[in-house]
Amino acid sequence: MTATAATAQISGGGLAARRALRAARVRGVAFAMLGLLAIYFASANFDVPAKFSLWIHEQGGDSAVLETKVGLLWIVAAIASAVVAGLQLLRGAGLRWRRWLLVLIAPWIVALLADLLAGKPAILTNVLAGSFEQATPIAMAAMAGILSERSGMFNIALEGKMLIGAFTASMTSSLVYIATGNVLLATLVGIAAAMAATGLTGLLLAWLGIRHKMNQIIAGTVINIGAVGITNFIFLRLLQHNTQYNAPPSVQPFKLPFLSDLPVLGPILFSAKPYVYVGYIMVIVLTYMIYRTRWGLRLRASGEKPAAAGTVGINVIAIRYRALILAGLISGLAGSYLSLAAGGSFQMEMTAGKGFIGLAAMIFGGWHPVGAFFASLVFGFADTTQSLLSILGVGVAPQLLASVPYVVTIVVVAGVVGRVRGPASAGLPYEQG
Amino acid sequence: MSRVTSLFRRAAIPVLSVVTGLLFGGIVIVLTDFDHLSQIGTDPVGAIGGAIGGVVDAYGAMLSGAFGDPTRILTALQTGDGADIAKAIRPITETLVAAMPLIFAGLAVAISFRAGMFNIGADGQLLLGALGATITAIVLADKVPAPVILVASIGAATVVGGAWGFLPGFLKARTGAHEVITTIMLTYVAKLLVFFALRSPYLRAAGSTSPISKDLTPIVDVPNIINLPGLRLDYGFVVALLMAVAVSWLLFKTTKGFELRAAGFSLSAARYAGMSAGGSMIVAMTLSGALAGMGGGLMVIGTVGQLSLDLSNGIGFNAIALALLAGLRPSGVVLAALLFGALTQGGKLMGVESGIPFDLLFFIMALVIMFVAAPGLIRGMWRIKSKPAAEIEATPASKATPA
Repeated sequence: MTATAATAQISGGGLAARRALRAARVRGVAFAMLGLLAIYFASANFDVPAKFSLWIHEQGGDSAVLETKVGLLWIVAAIASAVVAGLQLLRGAGLRWRRWLLVLIAPWIVALLADLLAGKPAILTNVLAGSFEQATPIAMAAMAGILSERSGMFNIALEGKMLIGAFTASMTSSLVYIATGNVLLATLVGIAAAMAATGLTGLLLAWLGIRHKMNQIIAGTVINIGAVGITNFIFLRLLQHNTQYNAPPSVQPFKLPFLSDLPVLGPILFSAKPYVYVGYIMVIVLTYMIYRTRWGLRLRASGEKPAAAGTVGINVIAIRYRALILAGLISGLAGSYLSLAAGGSFQMEMTAGKGFIGLAAMIFGGWHPVGAFFASLVFGFADTTQSLLSILGVGVAPQLLASVPYVVTIVVVAGVVGRVRGPASAGLPYEQG
Repeated sequence: MSRVTSLFRRAAIPVLSVVTGLLFGGIVIVLTDFDHLSQIGTDPVGAIGGAIGGVVDAYGAMLSGAFGDPTRILTALQTGDGADIAKAIRPITETLVAAMPLIFAGLAVAISFRAGMFNIGADGQLLLGALGATITAIVLADKVPAPVILVASIGAATVVGGAWGFLPGFLKARTGAHEVITTIMLTYVAKLLVFFALRSPYLRAAGSTSPISKDLTPIVDVPNIINLPGLRLDYGFVVALLMAVAVSWLLFKTTKGFELRAAGFSLSAARYAGMSAGGSMIVAMTLSGALAGMGGGLMVIGTVGQLSLDLSNGIGFNAIALALLAGLRPSGVVLAALLFGALTQGGKLMGVESGIPFDLLFFIMALVIMFVAAPGLIRGMWRIKSKPAAEIEATPASKATPA
């Protein structure tokens, strides 16, 4: 999609082509400057050792230790930056930037991490496994966003829906646990209740946007503010004094048979909480559904050119309703992760922008489930390293570290590294003729 | 005569929206009143009556918290005792105090919506403006006379808030980054920045372990309108009213304002007419941030006297509700801000007296936005048949083509 769009841009109008070329040059220079910066870092503390270790089979078992020097890592980052800069300057705007960005991000992150650790050893397995855990709710939010926007509806209400999901899951799960004492039942009912609540919220959003043609941003804001209000209200009025209603049994990690025995990869990918596996499956299923099924084609048609889709007999309205309800269900699942698996109970405003970060991951990933998943991983990694660094007491203020995901989101959404294009008709009301 | 009916019709939807929002809030209070509802099996009438009585108590507390007790005000005025008068009229003045930052934030949201930009981040702009004012005041303390400090710190608040609004405007104009996401992210960053700044012993109150700034009142203060002990109403409120006039003039009487509104109605039409759409976005967002920042500065210097993280306390979000309620008209913003100020001030007393958490107001505000933005809901609920002639002026933002 992007490649053809970019080529069309170049062969098309002269102004657009020149602008694209200029943007590519700016990016090239920016990457070159990153390379120089890396060289500076390399020279600053070349000989500091960088120690990373990975558990081979399980936590606390044998580990593989990688040891090198911080300077060498920075030189790798510098070379990667130089290569990407050269490609941008020589090949110009036709280049698909996103893949190259991933090539660039990895060595930079490793070098930066080693530099900040300043010789302290770090267990990479925990960092990476933590990244997958942290990425899961973000990725799920991104999937919900993709479904909505592919159908042509903005969904900035993800944040509010996750909050409602987290709240409902915690309270329902606690109540069922008190009544039955069955952990599995309590968890499943809690998740189901959360999804039901957010599915209904999704229906409300669709109804406001489609039936009442309310501006979709305002409709989303209504749900976000309302979700904060109602969950805070009930928390303060009921849960604060009756903590037993906000003490759900927490979801424990589950080792997948066979897969978790894989050396190195097993402890990172397949010994996690079940939510993470649901996330993997969701990415695969959604990719298949959006790109390989009739339903997916209709979904994308509704988001790109609803008038044309309507002309050939596709029921755009029904598709949008269904997409928003499905997005609601998914964001409820994502929300339940926060209170059942990550936090252990519901806390006021515990989503802390994860729904919006999910939207940024969606944009970063080019409205594609796989891309969005990897983008979520970047955010999850930022989250995990931030807590790792503050535990290790690295000399950066925790508030500044905490702002990293938000700043990254702004940078990503601003497309500083290149523009991405979403579904053409997202956010526009559709008039069934 | 027709003017009166048209005014009545124009006000019908906003007024009914607020009434319906409060009704729904009451239902939520009843539904969460487990103490009473648990008796519904044994004594259904008493249970429901008790729960509804709770609502009446709560809203009654809200009313007296917002406006005070009229008979008490009258007797106090007759006796002429300063302390008595101050105590009696304090609720009303506190309502005005609460309305002051809401006017600023409401104008900020209105000006951005008029230009087709959704400034969801007035909270962050207000907070950073307050930080700018705090730093300026502490830096200049004892070096220059107090009036100079006052002007400088409010100026700094305006500039910092404006810069925080400029950023999303610039990003939208240059890169197409959606301002909803960028303003929200910038709000989180602003909060963390304020938190970070308040770690510094230079700013933090001596001996305090929580992030609270030094007391600014000894350094600089906005002069009070009524000089009675315990009253906080100051000339910041007058500045807020002046700003409403200024924004109204800017939007409806100047070329720049016309361009802003044109960009809000249709970006492409504005472009074809030779206006710079990107420029309008940047100007609107910068002005929006500057207004919110100025409000934050006046709040921290004048009313509160101390910077803390919960200074903004959702003002930016309430501002969205009240700007829509006002039909994005500056005069309407002032009225809606007075209403919301009364709700906020009353809501605090409601929290103290009947234990109903203040956060209920956010839920009510969300409903109000919903009803104002989808008037069909209200018409259906209250069986208003004829379409009001001057239905809420189509909010320009609702017509903007989102990127």
